[in-house]
Amino acid sequence: MEESYELVTVGSWILTLIIFSPLVGAVLLMLPPRGDDVSARRSALFCSLVTLGLTVMALSLFYKAEPKIRGGETDFLLTHSIPWIVGDDPETPTIDIGYRVGVDGISIWLVLLTSLLMPLAIWSSFSSIRTRVREYYVLLLLLQVGLLGVFCAMDLLLFYVFFEFTLVPLFFLIGIWGGPERRRAAGKFFLYTLAGSVFTFAGIVYLAYYSFTTQGHITLNIEELTQMGQEGFLPPNVQWWLFLAFAAGFAIKVPLFPFHTWLPLAHTEAPTAGSVILAAVLLKLGTYGFCRLSIPMLPDAAFALAPTIAVFAIIGIIYAALAAWVQTDVKKLVAYSSVSHLGFCMLGLFSLKVAGVNGGVLYMINHGLSTGALFVLVGCIYERYHTRNIHEIGGLARQMPWLAFFLIFFTLSSIGLPGLNGFVGEFLVLLGAATSGTTFDGRAAGPLGFGYVIPAALGIILGAVYMLWMCQRILFGPVIEPPHTPDLSTGLTKDLTRREISILAPLAMCCVFIGVYPKPMLDTFEVAVRQHILRQGASDKVAEVTAEAHP
Amino acid sequence: MSAENLKLCSLVVLLAPLAGAILAGAFGQVLRSRTHWPAIFGVGAAFTAAIYILVHVFHAPAGSTGISIPIYDWITDGTGSSFKVEFLIDPLTAVMLVIVTGISLLVVIYSRDYMRDHGHPERGYERFFAFLALFVFAMCALVLCGNFLLLYLGWEAVGLCSYLLIGFYYGRPAAAAAAKKAFLVNRVGDFGFGLGILLIYLSFRTLDYKQVFSFVDQGLLASGEPISPALMTTIALLLLCGACGKSAQLPLHVWLPDAMEGPSPVSALIHAATMVTAGVYMVARCGAIFTASETAMTIVAVIGAVTALFAATIALVQTDMKRILAYSTISQLGYMFLALGVYAADSAIFHLFTHAFFKALLFLGAGSVMHAMGGVIDVRHFSGLRRVLPWTYATFVIGSLALAGFPMFSGFFSKDEIIHHALAAHPVLGGMALLTAALTAFYTFRMVFLAFHGSTRVPEGVHPHESGGWMLASLCVLSIGAVAAGYVGVEATGRAFHHFLSPVFAATFTAAHPTEAAAHATFWSVYGLMIVSGGLSIAAIVAAYFVYVRQPWIPGLVKASAIGVYRLLWGKYHVDELYDLSVVQPARQTGRICVGIDDYFVDGLLWVITAVPQGIAYLLRVMQSGLLQGYALSMVAGIVVLLLLAL
Repeated sequence: MEESYELVTVGSWILTLIIFSPLVGAVLLMLPPRGDDVSARRSALFCSLVTLGLTVMALSLFYKAEPKIRGGETDFLLTHSIPWIVGDDPETPTIDIGYRVGVDGISIWLVLLTSLLMPLAIWSSFSSIRTRVREYYVLLLLLQVGLLGVFCAMDLLLFYVFFEFTLVPLFFLIGIWGGPERRRAAGKFFLYTLAGSVFTFAGIVYLAYYSFTTQGHITLNIEELTQMGQEGFLPPNVQWWLFLAFAAGFAIKVPLFPFHTWLPLAHTEAPTAGSVILAAVLLKLGTYGFCRLSIPMLPDAAFALAPTIAVFAIIGIIYAALAAWVQTDVKKLVAYSSVSHLGFCMLGLFSLKVAGVNGGVLYMINHGLSTGALFVLVGCIYERYHTRNIHEIGGLARQMPWLAFFLIFFTLSSIGLPGLNGFVGEFLVLLGAATSGTTFDGRAAGPLGFGYVIPAALGIILGAVYMLWMCQRILFGPVIEPPHTPDLSTGLTKDLTRREISILAPLAMCCVFIGVYPKPMLDTFEVAVRQHILRQGASDKVAEVTAEAHP
Repeated sequence: MSAENLKLCSLVVLLAPLAGAILAGAFGQVLRSRTHWPAIFGVGAAFTAAIYILVHVFHAPAGSTGISIPIYDWITDGTGSSFKVEFLIDPLTAVMLVIVTGISLLVVIYSRDYMRDHGHPERGYERFFAFLALFVFAMCALVLCGNFLLLYLGWEAVGLCSYLLIGFYYGRPAAAAAAKKAFLVNRVGDFGFGLGILLIYLSFRTLDYKQVFSFVDQGLLASGEPISPALMTTIALLLLCGACGKSAQLPLHVWLPDAMEGPSPVSALIHAATMVTAGVYMVARCGAIFTASETAMTIVAVIGAVTALFAATIALVQTDMKRILAYSTISQLGYMFLALGVYAADSAIFHLFTHAFFKALLFLGAGSVMHAMGGVIDVRHFSGLRRVLPWTYATFVIGSLALAGFPMFSGFFSKDEIIHHALAAHPVLGGMALLTAALTAFYTFRMVFLAFHGSTRVPEGVHPHESGGWMLASLCVLSIGAVAAGYVGVEATGRAFHHFLSPVFAATFTAAHPTEAAAHATFWSVYGLMIVSGGLSIAAIVAAYFVYVRQPWIPGLVKASAIGVYRLLWGKYHVDELYDLSVVQPARQTGRICVGIDDYFVDGLLWVITAVPQGIAYLLRVMQSGLLQGYALSMVAGIVVLLLLAL
């Protein structure tokens, strides 16, 4: 009984605490007495560490209660719900929109990813941000509120509010602290992603309307809608339109080819922490949207459109890899690599197989860790040499052995070296896509097949090509430095400082851990995927029977 | 020895080198010139454990088919089962482990002196030993693993170590480029390899060796349907892609000669004795899959034979000692593939075993020369070294005799076996193998005579000195191996090596290849070929002596009279240039086009889309001019329209 008591009291509030703790920090930062810049950044770091601590607590609570999910007693854990917009009659509400939060085996890890990366991103900005320091950290914390909110939201409207809210802080982060073309980049980023998510909002409104006409009341409860979607309350043509509407917002966010052109610009111009969060977490809002909303609520449309999405994903994998290879701007190279990697992620999700979706979700986390770290490293180089041009720097391994170590390490993680995290995700994605057309996991045959794997696997070669090309140019060969560099005026050392090493080391450890023993994560994913994303529909039951007939 | 002990031993084999690597890397700054100790202890422990495993397997009851040792669940596959980290121990594993750890130990010992300059550790000393020990870990993982996924892990991990070690002198652009090239060419092979593994999973729903092979033996898919021959061939050829990459066979051989940019011990260990033989090991391990497809076996044999001859011809004209040895490695690996392709896997592994000794010896000998010559390794820049480097010379000649197939040296027995099987399979393959044997003897001794004979000549400013004790000790041990290793596989010892391996290959390779009945064995059928190949080898050595020592004007004449052929061989058949023009440049061009599409087409389209509302807004703005007359006019117009409508 003690356990359930703990769950009711702490458990129901913990997510709310996590989501809004950065907001509290941001408000406190803006309130007087305002100290100097040093105290501002320290407070911000402290605040993000508190959030991280809370998240770790939530994870332990989640693990304690996870058997309930496994046993099918409940779908989401640590749930907390407050009525927000409800109808007049409390007995039979015609409108049911609430502040609902909760996590399952997928979102808890994404929350952890966000909470882990934010302190590191804040810490990485200590030496590079010199102007309007306080506002900068306030915006980063506000950004975190939005990101955490999306991953925890269990109500479509709440999801959408947080989803859109993330744009505002990032817009200012890019627009104020960015590179020379920051205004254009910020504008393009904001308008492009907003334009897409307007369609998503239209889709949400229509979904609410449709549920009203058929069910008699408006609900935006994700759990309920998922349930109804799986039971087929939406006719296929409605699913199609809704899928396209949702996809408009999510595909731009992912970004799925050909909607990716905002990304290289935004990444290049954003300050380091902005790039880190943008790549590591913000892009995952798109893929998360697909796997939380589109696939479970609109199963028929997802099935029908999966080949199309997969084709675009594969084109993106190869196209962006080739484009990355000819970049001279290191940051742009890493940005294009993100486009390529997210293509893998989408391919896994739309294999509609447990292995593939597991892989896709793991890919989100892996990409967050390794690409986030790569952006930190590029930032380290930029702070010292004031250039990101691959032709102006070279042979840094001699000067900066620590940088060389980490750059090679995260390159290997990013190109999927077995034993590190990237491989596990990549392998499961390809496995999912390859076995998609079969009834392996006791589910109906999925939409993809082995044919999709072949071009996607080409992307693995190309991934190694551009990443190793970059390493060779930056790290090896004779030393090349722009004149009057390295610039150590901000208290940096020639090689990475202790602070920078302490930022990268935890990420590296996570990479090794996931690569060597991914099972704890994959196990929780699998439960969530089976229960929420690929729920066993009527057609699957048939497949299960046939699968048993041919073991 | 109980199963628990076996598990412990295999864990030691795997983890001791890893621990050595981590210690060397983490405490390199503290240990400084003593950093070699963690590596030596780690690899030494692995070697000891490998010997234990060998002894255990040797005493295993007859008929036992490999011992599986599961460690833990690695990746769940979404169907309730998972890919494990597990080991498979059988005679093939045991032999490979001993070869790998034994040669590694000698190379690590050798490197203690080699990586020093006048007694002081070179820059990156600790890095070198950390990577070397890491390599041993990866290679042992590759050999020990019990399923295809783990095989892929070892496969890529040895590739990584190769990358790191080829690029050890990263300040040299050539070394950095060679490292990248090695990794990428291997990735191309691994593309096929990975697809092959996925196809195996798709067909059999498992990646466990034993289960997969038993499915193949029964000729059934996991669904219970029979396997189509086309599927079997596809799987085998995809796996072969990976083998060609790792073992530098045509058409993916281009990385190995460049890999010689790495330090010599690395060339000896990774690019001669162990890693490059991974492809041979894999094909032998997957015998069930390969032998199930006649087509695949033929392709393996042809690739092997053609590669052997192809590389041998290039080696004829090269002048860099290490590159000559690299081409000879490619050529010898070709022999092993040829043996595999003609259903003689035990001969292939036998050749792998002897080759490991003599090729490591030759590379280490070349390293000793390089060490003495201040980093110069081109035979045009020195000669007559036998007087200044007597120990190196003696051991190098032993290695060369073994490589050349000189009678009674280890290479002679193993190579002869392969030629024998190749002749039995197809006269053309056998003929190519014989021709390659003669060429091998010729180019090997060309190198020996150019480097060690003639008048003593050294590069300017170099004070040649014989290498230190650590290096000579390794060379001597390897020389013994180069002479004696062959005797474990000859008739006189009852072909112990082949018998030991026979349980592994009994069901696959040898089943389709019945051993010649001893009944109608005549003197000529047993020793005839030996005499021919031995004679060829001696003749080629004598020819090399005549041409390069007695009448040194002949090579120049030959070169001048066939300048076209010479250029072709000197340019390595221009394969690199061909790949650059046909693959690399087009791909980069496509990349540029992609960026162009992004910047102009996609963004242009977006510009057009955003221009529409802007245009409308522009029109509307004109109307809202703020001038009263305009508003009055539109009001009147509006009223007129309304009136017209009303009427």
